[in-house]
Amino acid sequence: MSSLVQDKTTLITLVGSPNSGKTTLFNQLSGRNFKTVNYPGATVEYSFSKLQDKFNLNANLLDSPGIISLTPHSPDEKIAVKSLFSHPVLGIPDLLIVTVDSSQLSRHLLLVKQLQECKFNLLVVLTMNDILEKKGFSVSTKNLSSKLNCEVVKTDGRTGSGLAELVSLIGKKLKENNTLAKNTPVPYRINENKESLLNYYKNIEIINDNVLEELPEKNTVNLKKANRQLRILHPDPIAKKNCYQIDQRTVKIDKILLHKFWGLIAFFLIMAITFSSIFWLAQPVMDFVSNVFAFLADEALALIGNNWFGDFISTGIITGVGSVMVFVPQIMILFSILGLLEDSGYLARGAMLIDKPLSKIGLNGKSFVPMLSGFACAIPAMMAARTIPNKRERLLTIFILPLLSCSARLPIYALLLAFLFPGNKAWIAGLVLAAIYIFSIINSVVVAAIINKFTKRIIKEEDDSSFILELPAYRTPKIKVVYNNMVTSAKSYLRKAGPVILVLSIAIWFLTSFPDYNPKVEMQNHTQDEIVQLKNSERLANSYASDMGKFIQPVMKPLGMDWRVGVSLIAAFTAREVFVSSLALIFKVTGDGETIQNSMVRAMNNASIDDTGQKLFTPATIAGLIVFFLFALQCLSTVAVSRQETGSWRIPILQLVIFTVSAYLLTFITVNGLRALGIA
Amino acid sequence: MKTAAQLQYGEKVKIDDIDGAHPSSRRIIEIGFTPGQEIELVNKSAFNDPLAFSVRGTVIAIRKNEADCIKVI
Repeated sequence: MSSLVQDKTTLITLVGSPNSGKTTLFNQLSGRNFKTVNYPGATVEYSFSKLQDKFNLNANLLDSPGIISLTPHSPDEKIAVKSLFSHPVLGIPDLLIVTVDSSQLSRHLLLVKQLQECKFNLLVVLTMNDILEKKGFSVSTKNLSSKLNCEVVKTDGRTGSGLAELVSLIGKKLKENNTLAKNTPVPYRINENKESLLNYYKNIEIINDNVLEELPEKNTVNLKKANRQLRILHPDPIAKKNCYQIDQRTVKIDKILLHKFWGLIAFFLIMAITFSSIFWLAQPVMDFVSNVFAFLADEALALIGNNWFGDFISTGIITGVGSVMVFVPQIMILFSILGLLEDSGYLARGAMLIDKPLSKIGLNGKSFVPMLSGFACAIPAMMAARTIPNKRERLLTIFILPLLSCSARLPIYALLLAFLFPGNKAWIAGLVLAAIYIFSIINSVVVAAIINKFTKRIIKEEDDSSFILELPAYRTPKIKVVYNNMVTSAKSYLRKAGPVILVLSIAIWFLTSFPDYNPKVEMQNHTQDEIVQLKNSERLANSYASDMGKFIQPVMKPLGMDWRVGVSLIAAFTAREVFVSSLALIFKVTGDGETIQNSMVRAMNNASIDDTGQKLFTPATIAGLIVFFLFALQCLSTVAVSRQETGSWRIPILQLVIFTVSAYLLTFITVNGLRALGIA
Repeated sequence: MKTAAQLQYGEKVKIDDIDGAHPSSRRIIEIGFTPGQEIELVNKSAFNDPLAFSVRGTVIAIRKNEADCIKVI
């Protein structure tokens, strides 16, 4: 981003109410496809781009989260308003493009009026004109332009009509800017009272009446003829009422989807389908990815030869990269389902449905989307919590998000369950996995309730709770939007997690292979394979990792585990998914023509604790590990984002300590409890 | 005086005033609930709260206690 500071190119900022077609316009102007979603306030990250070359304008374009007014109510709105006046990196915008949904003209003009009062250089883009036309009305751009005393242009999000006119207007506006002295916008007065707000609306009402024009009668609508005749008797009011019609189909669908009984059934069905498709749809793709990397690792070893370098490439790098790539299918599936729900308009209903129960435990209906995203990854989930206006509810949401079973935990559970239920018992593994997910939901809700009820010490903040959300009309999700959403999430996952995991894989490979890479072993009376095995275990026993493990041994012993699991658990603190790759490295798993998972399960079956000879992985210790991963906050990135989003170290440190200590204690109870019950 | 929280399904009423003392009143006005506007209760959530009102050609969900600050005639 630092290169942008020197770049004195003109900055144009797009601003508008949620659902006003802002992001669609951004895509058209930038030519770069970014997320467009149907859930109010979904743009958490800013999209930034150059205007398309074909427009011949040298300017940068910044998208911003939707805002209703210049008085922010939630953290995401606060950021959006601040960045309008002066973006920390990009500076003061030279021009604002304000998107206004013409079917929502009176509501969306509030923001335009407030921006004008701050002396912004702006132009207005009217969107969704087709929706208004269906109601039999149209906005006169000429009248609106003279009433607002600024340029107004209509564009169509689908056909792109009006875009050329908009571009030439932008060019004209920017040229004026060069000749005139640039205005610095005046910050909006926050202490605005009710009366002045109502005054805005009075003015807007007058503009609204002036610019709305009834369309000439079309052959389809006979009703309007009747209306017109009626208007001879009752002039005026009918016209305005008709343009305020809401989508009746949406109301009818909502009657079912918000219903006391059917609404809840539909909610649970939609959630169940979402989660089960994460397992069933992703599994074959994951197996494929896992196979490809196992094959590559073998090929690399064969090509380079069985020396330290071949080992480094094959085990250190290829297996490490493979353990990252293996979750990509899942993340893509979860985010495409989220995208479908978002773009169809259901997410807002989901939030409304569970507002009441969630508010009982100190959360908010707006915690719904962050919690749902938490099943993919806690990091975007914590950022999505910015849409919650009440600080206490927002902090509590952030607090419990690490307890939801994020996708990084899935490969760990998959491995542990594959060990517990091999071969023909795999269907039990599926059921247990579903149970783990349900448990993680219950767990997070119970923890939220406990924190909310018994202590105000953990989260001190207190202010008025509120739930105000626009329910957008249902629409068929656009495949392109869902696809873009999916690709963007997968890319950002790879960018964030990829490098960390790769570096750690290499570090663990080094720590488990050195200082004694080529130990002396008894060569006689052994086959070639046995010699390799002997060397492997001897090398590991003398390694740095083994030295480190001796410190951890006393902590791991009560759990019935040894230093090898301990080292993997410690490595997993940088990111949970590292657990699998580090176990693979410690047990020196290579492909040998089967999947990484199968050969790991075999290696785990053979592992025993050195001094006692007891088996390392038993049903009891595996169950213990699952419990550990359910609770422990093992993700440094999550801790960092929690710090950033809550504004201090208090909450991330409390999360780290509370979740990890309870993970250890509960694992101890699980392992020893199961053993006391006779389950080894 | 009647408030929006007491409306029946399909009952169309006009907003008379917004109680400025309510902490959410500003946002409620900003989102389009202003005196003189016609509103209608179009839906309720499964637990009877929040409520969905049609106002100015869109549907807005707000909690019951927030709807209480919208005085209607």
